[in-house]
Amino acid sequence: MSRSGRGLVAAGLLAPAALLFAILFVWPQLGLFAQSVTQPAPFGLAAYERFLGDAYYLGVLGNSLALGGCVTVVTLLLGFPLALLLARMESRWAGLLLLLTTFPLWVSAVVRSFAWMVLFFRAGVASRLLQGTGLVASDYQLLGSFTGVVIALAQVLLPIMIVTLYAVIRGIDRDLEDAAMSLGAAPSVAMWLVTLRLARGGVLAGSLLVFSLSVSAFATPSLVGGARAHFMAVTIYEQTLELLDWPFASAISAILLAIALVVALSYGRLLGDNDGAAR
Amino acid sequence: MQHDGLGAGVFGRRAALGAGLGLATLPLLGSAALAQKRFAGREIVATAFGGSSQTLIQQMVYDRIEAETGAKGTQTPLLSAQAFARMRAEAQAPQIDLFMFSGGQEGPAKAGGLTQPLPAAPNFANVPAALKDPDGHWIAWGLVTEGILYRTDKITTPPTSYRDFFKPEYEGHIAFPHVTNGYGTDFLVMLARAFGGSEENIGPGFEAMKRISGRANIFRSAAEVQTLFASGDIWIMPYDGASAMRSSAQGIPVGYSVPEEGAPFVLLTGCVAKRSRNADIASAVLDAHLDPAVQAAIAAQVGWAPVNTATQLPADVAPFMAPTSKLAEFNRDVINAARPAWTERFSREIATR
Repeated sequence: MSRSGRGLVAAGLLAPAALLFAILFVWPQLGLFAQSVTQPAPFGLAAYERFLGDAYYLGVLGNSLALGGCVTVVTLLLGFPLALLLARMESRWAGLLLLLTTFPLWVSAVVRSFAWMVLFFRAGVASRLLQGTGLVASDYQLLGSFTGVVIALAQVLLPIMIVTLYAVIRGIDRDLEDAAMSLGAAPSVAMWLVTLRLARGGVLAGSLLVFSLSVSAFATPSLVGGARAHFMAVTIYEQTLELLDWPFASAISAILLAIALVVALSYGRLLGDNDGAAR
Repeated sequence: MQHDGLGAGVFGRRAALGAGLGLATLPLLGSAALAQKRFAGREIVATAFGGSSQTLIQQMVYDRIEAETGAKGTQTPLLSAQAFARMRAEAQAPQIDLFMFSGGQEGPAKAGGLTQPLPAAPNFANVPAALKDPDGHWIAWGLVTEGILYRTDKITTPPTSYRDFFKPEYEGHIAFPHVTNGYGTDFLVMLARAFGGSEENIGPGFEAMKRISGRANIFRSAAEVQTLFASGDIWIMPYDGASAMRSSAQGIPVGYSVPEEGAPFVLLTGCVAKRSRNADIASAVLDAHLDPAVQAAIAAQVGWAPVNTATQLPADVAPFMAPTSKLAEFNRDVINAARPAWTERFSREIATR
């Protein structure tokens, strides 16, 4: 096929998704942005000044970013070994086990959060366990704490990380590791130099998915975090539906989107993923 | 306003009881039914709050009106704010005759010239003056009464005042709703009043709330009330009596007490669109809502307290409702105007780590 013909095919294949994305995301996002610059009317940046000039709101932003970071690290640390194990498993149960890891995704966020709440109350099992270790005060409760939200979100986002990593690790040729070892690398070194490097694309894709889903999560932070956990999505909800301050809410969501994009781009750079290895 | 009590649950046992009551009221209609069917061939459209309340009201009010007067009634579930928007939009040619509000919209509706006086009806006289418009443009037919909810197995002396939240033995066992929840706002105002403030002077309310907020559980939605009580860790919270009734129907020992400062409340009212030609039917519909048997059935099944002072509540329902004589009147205009400022202050001073 000629070069231009291939380009045409690519454009044709891209068109439906691009169109949907433009209509359902880009267009409303522009509308939202337009609304955020209407204070004072007809054009002003008061909503942005209000957010960026206030330590409280900057703290809310910090909380959301920290939440995204923590959940990403936790799911990566827990997910990578599991994904590796599943991908390398030579058993017919592997598919079933992979399916099992996705179970948390099958439960509604609200139901799942309520279940965590029961465990996180002061007298709940999870809080009791922590109290028993002596690391926290005897009346400590995970409910309403940052840690609690990280645990609850990590639980539901872990399958996304595992499935993403699984697909990439499956594609890595085991012979490359064997070759490294036959050339004298210890298994741990082979793992580091070969497997992890080749799985970089998966780590990047999984992290970005988990990060963006955590910074924008609403139901879990609002239920498990309660009133004391101040996150961006919850603040947007409050401004939109409870205080009806739409310009301010739009400004907050524009800021969240911008910061999440910046983080995502710089994270990609940091991993040095310039060959686009997300296979 | 975001009062959550209106998404009332369904109680199997109570529903059966209510159906029984519904049948019991039918013989009372006999005398009226003897007359010529006065609204024969006419129709009325009304808004409703949906769920089990709508089903109950269909059976006990609209079906009865149809049998008695020949007027067919249709209920459309609409949230108060949306209903008010419809009322304004259709002011010239109303599609809906009778509007039911739970967010105080009847005041602005009357002020905006969107309503008309209701023809008098027998049960209207039994509604206290504060719960109906002096010019007859609207009348309340139900109440969501707030107060103090407590675990009866953990707290043996029923709380009597908002000041009881400061008893040292309750520390760590208190929950209260976020200020963006209507009941949370009302709690703040009642705390202010208990400590020398008011809706105009909210400072003492925030000061008092700060004293208990450190170890209190602050929650957002009505759905959490039962979970909190069921955990065994929460003994006391400000909320509505209907939630206590619902919890205790589920076997969680939760009681309701009317504080001496008064019970904040949400009024359920009805008013007729100005250009509606069915004010006479609407009046009959509201009168039927106010029938003591209907009032008692609504209380038992949905948890909305009666406003007809002649109503006799069943013994298992009465403890969960405040009587109309114990209500705390609020200046809702002041509260609504202050809401954004209070919410911001709440986030910074109360809902902190």
